[in-house]
Amino acid sequence: MTSTLKQPSPTHARLWSARDIWCTVAGAVSLALAAGAAATVAVPVNSDLGLVGVLPYPFWVGVLLLNITFVVALRGDSTGPARRPVMLWLIVVLVLILFGAAAFVTDVPRGEVAFRHLGIADTLSNSDGIDPSIDAYFNWPGFFALLATVLRATGIDPVTVALWAPVLNMGLWLTAVGVLTRYLTNDPRRRWLVLWIFCLGNWQDQDYLSPQAFGFFLYLVVVVLLMGPLAAKAAVFRGFKRADLTAWWKARTPAEPRPGYRIGALVVTLLLVAVICASHQLTPFLLLIAMTALTLSGRVWPSRLPLIAGILLVLWLVYPASTYLSGHPPLADGGLQTAIEANLVDRTTGTAGHLLVVQVRIGLTLILWALAVAGTIRDWRRRRLDIRVVLLAVTPLLLFPVQAYGGEMLIRVSLFALPFIAILASSVLLPTKGSTRPTSRGTLVLVPTFFLLAVLTVTGRFGNAQYDVFADNEMAAVAAVDHLAPPGSAIISAAHPTPWRSQDYLDHRYRTIEDICPSDLSAATCGPLIYRYAKHNSAGGYLLLMSSAESSLVVQGQTSQRGFEELEDWLKVQDGVDLAFSNGDARVYRVTP
Amino acid sequence: MSGRGVSRPTLALGLSALGLSLVTLFGLPTPLQTIAALIVLIVLPGQALARLMPVSDVALGALLVLGLGLASLAAVSTAMFYLTIWSWQACVVTMGVITVLACIARARQEVTP
Repeated sequence: MTSTLKQPSPTHARLWSARDIWCTVAGAVSLALAAGAAATVAVPVNSDLGLVGVLPYPFWVGVLLLNITFVVALRGDSTGPARRPVMLWLIVVLVLILFGAAAFVTDVPRGEVAFRHLGIADTLSNSDGIDPSIDAYFNWPGFFALLATVLRATGIDPVTVALWAPVLNMGLWLTAVGVLTRYLTNDPRRRWLVLWIFCLGNWQDQDYLSPQAFGFFLYLVVVVLLMGPLAAKAAVFRGFKRADLTAWWKARTPAEPRPGYRIGALVVTLLLVAVICASHQLTPFLLLIAMTALTLSGRVWPSRLPLIAGILLVLWLVYPASTYLSGHPPLADGGLQTAIEANLVDRTTGTAGHLLVVQVRIGLTLILWALAVAGTIRDWRRRRLDIRVVLLAVTPLLLFPVQAYGGEMLIRVSLFALPFIAILASSVLLPTKGSTRPTSRGTLVLVPTFFLLAVLTVTGRFGNAQYDVFADNEMAAVAAVDHLAPPGSAIISAAHPTPWRSQDYLDHRYRTIEDICPSDLSAATCGPLIYRYAKHNSAGGYLLLMSSAESSLVVQGQTSQRGFEELEDWLKVQDGVDLAFSNGDARVYRVTP
Repeated sequence: MSGRGVSRPTLALGLSALGLSLVTLFGLPTPLQTIAALIVLIVLPGQALARLMPVSDVALGALLVLGLGLASLAAVSTAMFYLTIWSWQACVVTMGVITVLACIARARQEVTP
């Protein structure tokens, strides 16, 4: 892993062995077991541990069988791992199990944000141009413009797109990471192992229908180009003296000898950078940091690329995004202490089960980072450490203290580092002497390690399932509110996430009880605030109370079940408040102005 | 690529873009419309643009088809929204034109000795 590999070597053709066939069948059995088991889970999920608390044991049998199969396939024989289609099939099964599990449970997309993003795309496609004063999304509309075009041109059901977006996005990310590994190692075992670890460590849950998922894919494509056609071969580093640095810098040579190819790759990179700048607030900064670090390491040929990317970013901020930035200074909530409070302290509250989920997320991240550190040391001792991988794993951390990003910066940082953490961690999981074929003893270590990572990832990813997996009754309540509420009325839900705003994005004032009463949700304090807010709205208000949103407040420690019942009891006896809709999982109260 | 004439893949790509753009604009039953629109909006432009680069690695080529297809559609759609000329039909036409223009550029590369 010391230099860019110019021409990835093709895997030579071999006949299908009995092991290949058995691995393929075992993969199919794993998928059937896991999907079948997930389909039996009842919604709403009734565990503060999330899906992991309610998934029946055949799901875990499927996960275990899949990991055993992967290790057998990875071990292969003396010529290499199992055939490429077999390895690809196992990756596909893993993606379906880990990232499609919720889609086997219910046909309603998880979480609130995907619904909101559908609403923004719908608003765009029904509007004349882009009004940046609406909210932040309309200052970075690239992804939503793409989504609006695709949804309208294809006629595909938007909810289906949102439901399967995690699987689609993981497919895109894995494609990019797969190509990336071809520039870093010739060892097929290591390449497949990186993809496996990338899946097993992907608890961040950022693969839903979102600009950041799209931006992350484009980020990975840019990194591939920087590692491939735009890479430079650096000379031996002699020291930090000015003369040494100058000589070292001038001795760089392009890894790709064809100038036309390099220019083409540069043009593609600039297009991707521009689209990233237009699509997401955070990704261009992470890209700029990574690009700058790689260039300063002498491993990128076009040395002015970070400067050009920086200019593109500034131009976007100064012109199309200026409306949002004028009211929201980007460094307003910066600082290490603020970042730690928002990303760690504020998240470690709630019920015992929820706290365990948070600890699992932190633990999984630390395990992977520890493996990556061990892999880095191992590669360094063997003089095969690629400094670019280390830089790409570490540089996202630089952004952590700059912006709290709503308490999500650590999640984003760990996601952007993950592909490179997986590459470094893979070093420590394969033998170093001679062949990288795992020994029988090594196999006994790999299987429980992968199974443990899979359990932790399912726990971390779906740990909020009690409140981000919605029942059909809850969707019926949201549809009822959409039908009942006249334009201009306020719609008040108990908490995020609520699956609303997928249509009529601009027609209502959307608020949650936790927004209106950020510090105290007691009936005595919060009740009058909510009532006044709805009552004083000229078009009236609709109070949407769903089981999942109530669970969100309880699980995260903002109120108790009893406290929430008292709040509802107080509200429903007020003057002008009447029950407009109800079912087993939701109530809708109309507040007459 | 013969070095003297336009290659068949280039011709096929350009003609597919023309044909599928028209078919998509006129409309097809739902599953076919979905497939046709995805091909004409993402796959064909991505493939035509990626072929302008001498990419020898098939995996990188496939990644560039996806990346370029999605990025160019995002750029075209965003620009149309800012210019208040957006419609999905206009996007289909524009992506078809981009594909044909990329094929013409590729054809010029191929006929140049």
